[in-house]
Amino acid sequence: MVCYNCGCRLTEHDFCTGCGVDVSTYKKIIFMSNRLYNDGLEKATVRDLSGAIVSLRQSLKLNKNNIDARNLLGLVYFEMGEVIDALSEWVISKNLRPKKNIADDYIDMIQTNQARLDAINQTIKKYNQALLYCYQDSQDLAVIQLKKVLSYNPKYVSAHQLLALLYINAEEWEKAQRELNKCCQIDTNNTTTLRYLKEVEHMLMPEEGAKNAPKKKDSTERVVRYQSGNETIIQPVNTKETKGVSSLLNLGLGVIIGVAIACFLILPGRIQSAKAEINTELRAVSEQSDAKTATIDELEQKVQKLTDENTGLKDELASYQGSNGTVKATDGLMLAVGAYMENPEDIESIAKYMEALDEGEEETQRTEAFTALYDKLMELVGTQLVEFYYNAGYESYRAEDYEAAIPNLLRAYQYDNTNGDALFYLGICYQESGDENKAKEAYAMVIDDFPGTEIANKSETYLAEINNAE
Amino acid sequence: MIDFEEELKKFHPSLEVEDAEEAIYNQDLTDMADLLIKMVEKNNKTEE
Repeated sequence: MVCYNCGCRLTEHDFCTGCGVDVSTYKKIIFMSNRLYNDGLEKATVRDLSGAIVSLRQSLKLNKNNIDARNLLGLVYFEMGEVIDALSEWVISKNLRPKKNIADDYIDMIQTNQARLDAINQTIKKYNQALLYCYQDSQDLAVIQLKKVLSYNPKYVSAHQLLALLYINAEEWEKAQRELNKCCQIDTNNTTTLRYLKEVEHMLMPEEGAKNAPKKKDSTERVVRYQSGNETIIQPVNTKETKGVSSLLNLGLGVIIGVAIACFLILPGRIQSAKAEINTELRAVSEQSDAKTATIDELEQKVQKLTDENTGLKDELASYQGSNGTVKATDGLMLAVGAYMENPEDIESIAKYMEALDEGEEETQRTEAFTALYDKLMELVGTQLVEFYYNAGYESYRAEDYEAAIPNLLRAYQYDNTNGDALFYLGICYQESGDENKAKEAYAMVIDDFPGTEIANKSETYLAEINNAE
Repeated sequence: MIDFEEELKKFHPSLEVEDAEEAIYNQDLTDMADLLIKMVEKNNKTEE
């Protein structure tokens, strides 16, 4: 605080220490201005904007240099939608204190954004137009304009109040109440708003003539009306709420109905879906099973095929080896050739190896190489073999060992089918050993192959003896 | 009961942006302190 005369800073005394003028009254004015500013600030804090405006204006009337009060007044105007009034206060504030003044920021906020400024201007023009429509009794057009205004600037208290007034005039009480409630949210203690609200509530609750009253009972009436927020509640009077047993009964009934709904509506659906899932899984499992069965069949066929091949190969192997594992026919020939090459005079060994050929595969299965080698060997040792077997068989015959003589004489004839003696003595051995059929065959062959010879004559004799004996 | 016409008279047109400058210029910023100073000056002149 400075002296109004000399500009010197004032002290706690009632006079200026610089120029000596009496500053008691001046100080009181300044203190009062500050107190009103505080009051305005407190009201603004609780959203009593109308009350704050009154206090702040009074503060400024006492001291126009109260920059804080002026800035706050501008803010309050801005909050109520009075943008130009707010701008005026801030401009004046800036002129009174050009430096370190928050009004700079407020002014920049509005003026730098040209689009916003234009929107604000349009809002004000539409509001003035709506007011004009009201004077011209075109209330519908006024309502439309005011709705547009409020869409741009929802905090414009005057627009809300004017719109509420129009709704009141049209007896649209609920709409009016809605608008007035919005006003109350912006400015709680606005006198105009409260007055309109009282009127609207009176019209909405004609019996009580009060606002937000709790429920009242009237014995002469059967219903009770009361307001709850934006809604009107109408409740019959003489109804008693059921308690206790009836509540439990209702609860039980509800449970039963719920269970019935679950059983008849929900459960079948669940069962159906579960069945569908099971069927799907079953189908999948069946497909897998079929695939595996097909795989098994294929494998079984393979196994069978391999088994047959194995059997065939085993048979083939057995044919090479013989049933009792004796020396193969080819091995016998090789050994015979080997024995000849080692000692061509060792007919006995050669003969023994050659005997293996008789037990091996049939002649039709022998290869060309085998046959060629066999024929070659027979060229070389065939005569000695025949002689060897004939001698051995004849000696056995002479010793009356017919069982031992038969194979040797047989081999001797096989190796040399021109050897009639071997065949003749073979027949005798068969006869003597009791095998008359083979004996007759042998005698017949001698007779056929060697006619006119001594052995043929003897064969005829012996053959006749056999036939006579039968 | 609210009289629409009477209530309507209480609503005044808002200042537009173009009118703001004139409104600021026309605003009377005389406060109580200014009145006090005038009174003191007048009193001093009377005493002289």
